[in-house]
Amino acid sequence: MALQEFLQELDQLVTEAKSSFSDAVDMDALEAFRIEFLGAKNGRLKSAQKMMGGIEKPDKPEAGKTFNATKQAIELAFEEASERLASGGGGAVDPTFDASLPGSAFRIGRLHPITQTIEELKDIMGRLGFSVADGPEIEDIRHNFEALNIPNEHPARDPLDNFYLATAGLGDDVLPQWLMRSQTSTVQIRVMETTPPPVRIISLGRVYRPDTADATHYPMFHQMEGLWIDTNVTMSDLKTVLRLFATSYLGGDVSIRFRPSFFPFTEPSVEADYYWNGQWVEFGGAGMVDPNVLKEVGYDPEEVTGFAFGLGVERLCMRRHGVTDIREFYKNDVRFLEQF
Amino acid sequence: MLVSKNWLTEYVSMDMEQQALEDCLSMTGLNHEGTEPVGEDLAIDLEVTSNRPDCLGHIGVAREIAVLYDQPLSIPNPQPAANVSDASDSISVSIQSPELCSRYTARVIRGVKVGPSPEWLVRRLETIFKPLNPQWEPVNNVVDITNYVLMECGQPLHAFDLAQIAGNAITVREAAADEEFEAIDHHTYNLQPGMCVITDEDGPVAIGGVMGGAQSEVTESTVDVLIESAVFDPLATRSTSRALNLFSPSSYRFERGMDPEGVDWASRRCCELILEICGGTLEQGMVDAGEKAQARSPVTLRLNQIVRILGISVETDQVKRILTELGNEIVSADELQVEVVPPTWRRDLSREIDLIEEIARIYGYDEIPEDAKVPMAASAKTDSDRVLEKVRSVLTGVGFDEAMSASVVTEDWASVYSPWSSAQPLRNHTPMLKGADTLRPSLVPSLLESRRINQSLSNPVIELFETARVYLNQGEALPQEIRLVGVTTGQDYFYLKGVISRLLTTLKIDAQLAVESVELDLLHPSRSAKLLLDGELFGFLGEVSDAGLKQFGLRSAATVAEIKLELLEKHASLIPQHSAISTMPSIARDMNIVVDESVSWAQIESVVAQSAGAELQTVKYIETYRDPKQDGENRKRILLNVTMRSDERTMTGEEADTIRENVVAAISEKLGGQLLG
Repeated sequence: MALQEFLQELDQLVTEAKSSFSDAVDMDALEAFRIEFLGAKNGRLKSAQKMMGGIEKPDKPEAGKTFNATKQAIELAFEEASERLASGGGGAVDPTFDASLPGSAFRIGRLHPITQTIEELKDIMGRLGFSVADGPEIEDIRHNFEALNIPNEHPARDPLDNFYLATAGLGDDVLPQWLMRSQTSTVQIRVMETTPPPVRIISLGRVYRPDTADATHYPMFHQMEGLWIDTNVTMSDLKTVLRLFATSYLGGDVSIRFRPSFFPFTEPSVEADYYWNGQWVEFGGAGMVDPNVLKEVGYDPEEVTGFAFGLGVERLCMRRHGVTDIREFYKNDVRFLEQF
Repeated sequence: MLVSKNWLTEYVSMDMEQQALEDCLSMTGLNHEGTEPVGEDLAIDLEVTSNRPDCLGHIGVAREIAVLYDQPLSIPNPQPAANVSDASDSISVSIQSPELCSRYTARVIRGVKVGPSPEWLVRRLETIFKPLNPQWEPVNNVVDITNYVLMECGQPLHAFDLAQIAGNAITVREAAADEEFEAIDHHTYNLQPGMCVITDEDGPVAIGGVMGGAQSEVTESTVDVLIESAVFDPLATRSTSRALNLFSPSSYRFERGMDPEGVDWASRRCCELILEICGGTLEQGMVDAGEKAQARSPVTLRLNQIVRILGISVETDQVKRILTELGNEIVSADELQVEVVPPTWRRDLSREIDLIEEIARIYGYDEIPEDAKVPMAASAKTDSDRVLEKVRSVLTGVGFDEAMSASVVTEDWASVYSPWSSAQPLRNHTPMLKGADTLRPSLVPSLLESRRINQSLSNPVIELFETARVYLNQGEALPQEIRLVGVTTGQDYFYLKGVISRLLTTLKIDAQLAVESVELDLLHPSRSAKLLLDGELFGFLGEVSDAGLKQFGLRSAATVAEIKLELLEKHASLIPQHSAISTMPSIARDMNIVVDESVSWAQIESVVAQSAGAELQTVKYIETYRDPKQDGENRKRILLNVTMRSDERTMTGEEADTIRENVVAAISEKLGGQLLG
């Protein structure tokens, strides 16, 4: 072959190699090009080398020199391309890829805000050593009233203030025997009846009291009641536990105060308030369990004492999350549920 | 209850700072609700709890203040002068219904001059009545005095015009059915048995404990007056009041229980004021029928119990001071205990613990520390809570929102869907929400109503679940409550079935989920099922029928399901155990078989499981295809995949083929199915 032709070939080879190497988008592509140009057996450089055999003897030195330069140029181009790809820079840009488009849509449901509140309460009380106790929502007179020291004449028993069940087939003058529980202390009675002290429990769940539904009242709501009976429990323990609870719930130092009140099942009875953000806020009712109640479940008031406290879950939830209408909790508008 | 500041000064010094007094009262038992100026006086609103009827009068409130500020309390001691003639000659009293009225006393004043009340009296009554009733006006001196004494000591009184009492005899009895009576408010009431009436010879002159009669009320023309001071039964008074929808300051107090000794004091006080203000002469003695107050038993307070209950000690001197100033009479005392006789106006003090409460509230609850060393105790999460947590976690993860709905529904919802029981649903005497008085036997109607509400709010995606109880009638036995998870989706039967299966997998439940056909009008006749877990009734699942959608006002399709939490708890494996993971690779074979339409997947799966041998890992349903032209009518093709693995060796392709042949043979023999080429 003529020298001129050979030199043109070599020139072409360098141009093509450089172009291919810089177009390679990744290491695999680059490798393919390397094999094409620099491959030991069938690479184009190798083929060009073989062509040198056909060069005229006086042209051989120039041909060889140009060949070596070509080889170096191609190898250099390869190294540069390798470095570029290894450092991750550049490569072919895909103009159709828009990183700001939204990610895939997934739908996750939400737990009801009342459930969320209850789970948090269980959590905090659990850490304070209170286990969860459960019981029926439909109660008999004994557990809802008698055992809680609420005698027949007490206004709390009034038929207009409770959801007594209508017992089918029996006349109106038969005393109603079952009702939908008006407090969760019924569960506490059940536990005490079947467990010897010490008892440290919370009972949570739905309770029912006749009330016209409006922004702050609903005939069905949730209560949490705590109970601790042991040989040495005092009102100071009650105040302390309430303070620990409130502090854990609010996440800051909280103080508790008692105001005298009256509940048939506690004596002394108090309303407990906690101090937060510059004001006293109502927490719920509390007190030492009345000795009559202790005797009723078979405990000896000379051996053990105990306290009980209760709070309304809806009120707590509304306060924390800024809900202003209690009826929203039971409407189940998904836009409401999704806010929590 | 409103009290007048000026009036209180009659009994105790009121020099203290007003705000401090209000705070102090709130902290010791009379919650301060507000203060309003009335003329030159202050009307102080205090909440009196139902166990403290002694504070339903100014003297009771003054006593509290006296104890709190350690001030002397000065109570009038009425001893009105009586003339020679006996009251018992003017009037006789007989109680026929002692269960409605335990004591009835009467005094007689002759020759009163009925007219306007003096200024000081009117001002005091005005302060406590006008804020709640701007139309309030004094009546006349006699009537105003009875109201004054009522608000002074809390004992209700009534004054009759003696001339209007026919036969000069009072009988206290039960009302007869439909007995008519015109009260002071000039309404006529229809009375019933169980209600207490004060009667003369002609008929009722007052509803005992509630309100006097129009005919016998004291007017300008009254000359002789009969003063009633009695004790009426709390329960009877309350039910009478409620039945007639007639409430008064008197009925309010009788409902809460009166001081049996206070009857006489109030009567004398009333007479004393009448003589002073209206003139007249008081007849000798008090006609007194019924039972007298019983002597109170002493109560012993062991001093070591104070620290046992309250957690703080109180000096014995303080204890004695507090008890004495509250009206308790100390009978004996030593270093260990104090024995007292409680006052007759404190029927709530009858036990040691009651006295301890008095000490605590007067000494101050702020003295009780809030940093006791509370011992720790173990508490573990219950299994049912753990299961519920996982259930909620799966359902929310899949995209369901948790709903909460009322436990009590309308009767037609309860009857339209009650798969768990065919018994009559339970009902309340009192409806809970508009017309809803039935305890729901299923969560489904409530969930469908939630769908409808969301639909009306144009919320497009409605995926909800609720964990709650349903209530089943068990006749004589206490009703049964079942805890359920109810779910509703806009997707189809298989979607919801998949969700339920996912719950079983998450809880690592091995038990077999099986279906049985079920006939429930609310659900589609075919696209629904009764679910069983290891043969036990587990729940119900189905697409809502067209009739159901219409009934609940739903515009688009919905599927519902309800399953028992108890069964999930029974079968859940809450502490998963690791088992050896095989190092051998598995091998799979597809099978495309054609069977009759009536052959179910459950049957196919069962046959495969039985015939594939010990190496069987999983049987997976892939799809169904129908080609009536090729296979004939009522035939279908089921494509399934079977994976196999041996624990000991790598299975060969030939072994897999052999197993496939066995399975195909079993399917052919038991189900009449054929393998397609």
